[in-house]
Amino acid sequence: MSFKEIPHTADVKIRAEAPTPDALFGEACAALMQVMYGDDRRGGTKKECDIIGEDQESLLCDFLSEVLYLTEVDGLVFSRADVKLDGLHLHAVLDGEPFDPARHNKGTEVKGISYSGLKISHDAKGFMLEIVFDV
Amino acid sequence: MIDGVVRLKGDEWEIPKGFVPGMRVPARFFLSDTLAALLEPGAVQQLANVATLPGIVRSAYGMPDIHWGYGFPIGGVAAFTLDEGVVSPGGVGFDINCGVRLFTTPLTKADIKKPRELVESLYKAVPTGVGAKSTRKISPSDLTTMMEKGARFAVEAGFGVERDIERCEDRGCMKQADIRAVSAKARARGVPQGGTLGSGNHFLEVQEVSEVYDEEAARAFGLHVGQVCCMIHCGSRGLGHQVCTDHLKTLETATKKYQIALPDRQLACAPLQSPEGKAYFGAMAASANYAWANRQMIMDAARRQFMRMFSLAYEDMPLVYDVTHNVAKIEEYTVDGRRVPLCVHRKGATRSFGPGAPDLPSDLTRIGQPVIIPGSMGTSSYVLKGTAAAMERTFGSTCHGSGRVMSRSQAKKKQTGKEVADRLLEQGIIVRAPNEAAIADEAPDVYKPSSEVVEVVARAGLSALVARLTPIGVIKG
Repeated sequence: MSFKEIPHTADVKIRAEAPTPDALFGEACAALMQVMYGDDRRGGTKKECDIIGEDQESLLCDFLSEVLYLTEVDGLVFSRADVKLDGLHLHAVLDGEPFDPARHNKGTEVKGISYSGLKISHDAKGFMLEIVFDV
Repeated sequence: MIDGVVRLKGDEWEIPKGFVPGMRVPARFFLSDTLAALLEPGAVQQLANVATLPGIVRSAYGMPDIHWGYGFPIGGVAAFTLDEGVVSPGGVGFDINCGVRLFTTPLTKADIKKPRELVESLYKAVPTGVGAKSTRKISPSDLTTMMEKGARFAVEAGFGVERDIERCEDRGCMKQADIRAVSAKARARGVPQGGTLGSGNHFLEVQEVSEVYDEEAARAFGLHVGQVCCMIHCGSRGLGHQVCTDHLKTLETATKKYQIALPDRQLACAPLQSPEGKAYFGAMAASANYAWANRQMIMDAARRQFMRMFSLAYEDMPLVYDVTHNVAKIEEYTVDGRRVPLCVHRKGATRSFGPGAPDLPSDLTRIGQPVIIPGSMGTSSYVLKGTAAAMERTFGSTCHGSGRVMSRSQAKKKQTGKEVADRLLEQGIIVRAPNEAAIADEAPDVYKPSSEVVEVVARAGLSALVARLTPIGVIKG
């Protein structure tokens, strides 16, 4: 797991790292699911989504907002996201399982994905993001 | 205090024009010295940023529970002219019409012989926590009516009585609701969540009136010492969250289209008279109506548990009032000697209408609006009354709660949920939540003391103390 929660007074702030932008977006999705449901998440049911963004930040926010929508409306808890970025087009295959109130009750609802404090950057070691989930 | 901020007098501070470039008006906030020590520089910056928005009138305001939020700080208030002003989702929040209601019972604490049983039965009756689905069947056409009629939808569907509607701000319905501006996605999220509490800081709490400060107002509100009450705190659920997400996107584009220079992307906004601004306002009003119906259905579920356990009649449990603390509304104020309609944004702030204000139930016209301020888990909540001073000074607004001072990750490191629950139990407070982390996240010491926050608004005259309520049992989502 290459994401962690960093202190934020009102909401949940996440820092994630990955060797590629594709993997970085996948980590952001895993962090969102971890905050909402805890770490006991399995695969088995696949869901795909396609997003076109105006810039990398909006692409990330729109992707995570779509994951929020899918998890709530389809009642699926995702364990993994395989993300492919092609410029400002994103294609993701999400792998998850139906929500189980006995196992997925360890988190908190996320109301929205915030631009507040959103940073995507890279250096010689790889790619990094910071993002705030409104809870 | 942060450099550049000036103390005016007492608890009132000013961020002068020029603190950030482009401020059209100054910004003011209300803090005691104790609360000033907890002030985040980010929140001051955000409040100053609000003062740059087009059409802002007089000043941006921060309530004593101010803290860093999305766009506006939480505890932020700003009013805009209808012709030149803007509407911004960052001034309302993701949880549109997050709010609080309080109903009373004829019971005293001594009547509740088995408090844990009561808390458990309420926990089972109200779907709570992440992933919880409505136990009420809500059809897509019901959803439309919910968004159009608000609290009245729930009352007509059998989840309340006519009087409940009279005791909601705006009678539980914003008439500007435009359901055409609510996306299919938002509707899909709204259908299964009607009547659910949610999680995070949302709660349902059984309380006792432990102190009355203003006998006349307490009597008018139906409150007396020793009485058992029930408080409900929640909002528009996934429907409102999706409306905010959808319209943030269109308003980002609109900000560029109308060439509005913003110091912060989170303040995305559009002129109130633009198609984009009108669409957001209509969708926000529809979400606000959904939230009123939602709180009405939760109250109905709770009332029925009290009826079952204590052989009470439905009418034995009147609603004191329902307030919203995340909303933008059109209200009239006197500016430069003239009455003008303004769009007042309250983001983590409560309406505090004083005596004689429009929209008050006829029997409260002389007293003022009940203002309900929830405490954190284990600390006191307060009922206050609206004042003429709030009408004159803060566009009829006051604080909304305590305001966090500690992050969730710090809270969990500091103590486990079990430790928090055990400590509260020693004080006679029963806590029920779907998981331990939810209890640790919301422990009493992660919030500013609610007593300090309400003392500041009382000293500033933004609302006046009526009663203090202490918790008996808490359900956290």
